[in-house]
Amino acid sequence: MTAELVFQQALNGLSFGALLFILASGLSLVFGMMDVVNLAHGAFYMLGAYVALSVVQLTGSFWLAMLAAPFALGLLGFALEPLLLRRLRGRHLDQVLLTIGVSLVIVDVIGQVWGREVRSLSAPAGLDGSVALIGGVYPVYRLFVMAFGVALAVAMALVYRRTKIGMLIRAGVEDAEMLGALGVNTNRLFASTFATGAALAGLAGVIAAPVFGVQPGMDTDPGLLYSLVVVVVGGLGTLSGAVAGSVLVGPADTFGKVLFQDVALAVIFAIVALVLLLKPTGLLGRIRIAR
Amino acid sequence: MRPFLRWALVAAAAAALVTFPYWSAPWASRFATTVVRDALILAIFALSLDLLVGRAGMPSLGHAAFFGAGAYAAGIASQRLATDQLPVTLGAAALVAALLALLIGVLVVRSEGIFFLMLTLALAQIVFAIAFQWTAVTGGSNGLAGVGRPMLASLDFSAPDLMYVLVAVTFVLVALAVWGLARSTYGRALIGVRENERRMRALGYDTARLRLSAFVLAGTIAGIAGALSAYSTRFVSAQDAGLGNSVRAFVTVLVGGAGTLGGPILGSALVSLIERVVPSLLPTDLRISDAILGIIFIAFVLFARQGMVGLGRFALLRVSRR
Amino acid sequence: MIEIRELRRAFGGVVALDGVSLTVAEGERRAVIGPNGAGKTTLINVLTGEIAQTAGMIRLAGRDITRLRSWQRARLGLAHVYQRTELFALLSARDNVALAVAAREGPYRVFRAPPRAEYSEADTVLGRVGLAGREDAAARALSHGERRQLELAVALAQRPRVLLLDEPTAGMSPLETARIAELIAGLDRALTILIVEHDMDVVFRLADRVTVLHEGRIIADGTAADVRGDVRVHDVYLGKAVTVA
Repeated sequence: MTAELVFQQALNGLSFGALLFILASGLSLVFGMMDVVNLAHGAFYMLGAYVALSVVQLTGSFWLAMLAAPFALGLLGFALEPLLLRRLRGRHLDQVLLTIGVSLVIVDVIGQVWGREVRSLSAPAGLDGSVALIGGVYPVYRLFVMAFGVALAVAMALVYRRTKIGMLIRAGVEDAEMLGALGVNTNRLFASTFATGAALAGLAGVIAAPVFGVQPGMDTDPGLLYSLVVVVVGGLGTLSGAVAGSVLVGPADTFGKVLFQDVALAVIFAIVALVLLLKPTGLLGRIRIAR
Repeated sequence: MRPFLRWALVAAAAAALVTFPYWSAPWASRFATTVVRDALILAIFALSLDLLVGRAGMPSLGHAAFFGAGAYAAGIASQRLATDQLPVTLGAAALVAALLALLIGVLVVRSEGIFFLMLTLALAQIVFAIAFQWTAVTGGSNGLAGVGRPMLASLDFSAPDLMYVLVAVTFVLVALAVWGLARSTYGRALIGVRENERRMRALGYDTARLRLSAFVLAGTIAGIAGALSAYSTRFVSAQDAGLGNSVRAFVTVLVGGAGTLGGPILGSALVSLIERVVPSLLPTDLRISDAILGIIFIAFVLFARQGMVGLGRFALLRVSRR
Repeated sequence: MIEIRELRRAFGGVVALDGVSLTVAEGERRAVIGPNGAGKTTLINVLTGEIAQTAGMIRLAGRDITRLRSWQRARLGLAHVYQRTELFALLSARDNVALAVAAREGPYRVFRAPPRAEYSEADTVLGRVGLAGREDAAARALSHGERRQLELAVALAQRPRVLLLDEPTAGMSPLETARIAELIAGLDRALTILIVEHDMDVVFRLADRVTVLHEGRIIADGTAADVRGDVRVHDVYLGKAVTVA
């Protein structure tokens, strides 16, 4: 492997990591606040991509899709939480099971409405070129993804630490019940959190589409599989955990695919196994006992 | 009911089940036999998952990894080992599934509840992805075709009726095993681990080993179910190890009623019905059996958590109060 | 029987046990008392192995058990009655005790149904603690006092060599307290008992020796009479600061 190739793959790994962060942050946020692992997260991701497909078809604007998809998913999440999850408040395991059912429905509906062929979404004009970098050319879009991921992480960190909402979220992650006792409208907080998680998943779907395509099965691969791996490795429920997990899994997966091709995921398996054996709560995680 | 009478009834029902294709030939089509056969394979799979979900309190969403491992092992063994003999291929399936369950089990067995669910899902997904991409060994996304016929000496089980008998006999054996296990000291220990693991440890039970043994046992039986599936269709698809299959089994167990013998069996009947019969009732371009399954699942989680068996018990209670 | 040396346990910045050393002889009845937060429950939990120690050594019957897991220590004869009842809520009282009886054998007879002998032994133990007639009741259907009795039955069914009791009379009426105290007093003299208690009447009824814990350290150790007269113990209970000698 030449130095240029290594550099290219490193960039690929980092842009994949950035994407993973956008994807996994929503999952981690919802768990941190509500102790629920939203197994429909992959389906939300998939729905975001398909919604983007339609928006681009209708309006020709990728940027509009980037706004519309998260918005639509946010609405969906905001509706689903009180409709389904709230009925099972306190029964965390059952809430997770509920999200499985939701996932089944969403994926089937997507197949019905948009069809089951492999579709694609091109990068927006202006970002679809390549730029000269060390050792050749590199797609601009992937650099955009990287920059977007970093920007999102920074933005989330700022909101988390400097704003009132962020304080509510931090408190909620610690002890949501206590917040309720203090007079915070936890119903609205949970619904908003779930909506935000869904919106983030939808956003990831849009941004990933030009790179990974839009097709059946994307809800599990890369959707749910990678978001789960990232939070297991990095630590569930924290922003830094999502960052740590993405930064580790992104490049590891890319290099794994280059070096091992067919059994590339064995590398991921090994990493997950190592983390589980050495630090079961994830590299930067705090485990929450949830039954 | 006297024990002897009960056993006689069970034996009669088992015999009727095993010989189904023969006595139903006049009025049932071949299709009916395949539907029941596939339902029985799902029942074996679901019974094995119930050992974890229902008895040991280990909600696993990655059980299809073992089903798929068994299917692939049986198929690959029949091709690579140039033998079609059932003991060899079935043995390979059980062994590979057991080893995989041991590997994954060691990693997940110390976690509980949601975290356990997540880990089993993630690890099984990785296994699936490996199966999907390892074209050289598993046929990758094209699947593994040409699985050998299951033979016992010179008896060819690939004939549809005999295949059914093989599946049905396995089902009866597995059901008996699960029933016996539930009533044994081991089964009671599993319930103890489920109800209060801390207490069990304080009593001197090695709960980690108990859970691991349950995990491996369940995985092995799932592997056998997978092998049977491979024999029936002579084909192994990567989806056999996929999340969809794991979810399917979980839905079957919960909707039927976790922790009971009848639950997984009833659940398999219902799920098979939905998967087979519903598409034939709907227009061909409306493929929403998964969505229907999802809605039913949601309904049960919300309103009938103990599944159909639970509903039945509730109804019986109401009736007996009158 | 029990030998603890320089046991330390810190939770982050909080030091729950700060170099505790004590020895309990076989057959001895030792009470551990002290104000809230003194580290009594932590001491028990470290002894049983549920919590790991930060430093120190524990010996059971001469054998170093510092590295052993909680279930391994239970198999060596350590039984624990929890401060807050830890029972199998949905199972009957009999099943709760039967699980303890079966623990001695090991659960790996996969297809063998539980032998009748287990259940009859369970009933016997339940009779000893005064729960005769309540064998079939689900654990969660029992009253608080009955549940504490059941906890004791479960522990006794393990046929332990050492019994660790964490506030066995907590939340009980005077009548129930007296009953439990009599029960414990009547236990086999070969059994070594370590009991954490707040109720001084129970302590003076049962204990051969008393150890007083304060802020993770032992500040007094002697017979019940000695401790009763110890000024430092009085101070500690009245909230005054105490310098440990």
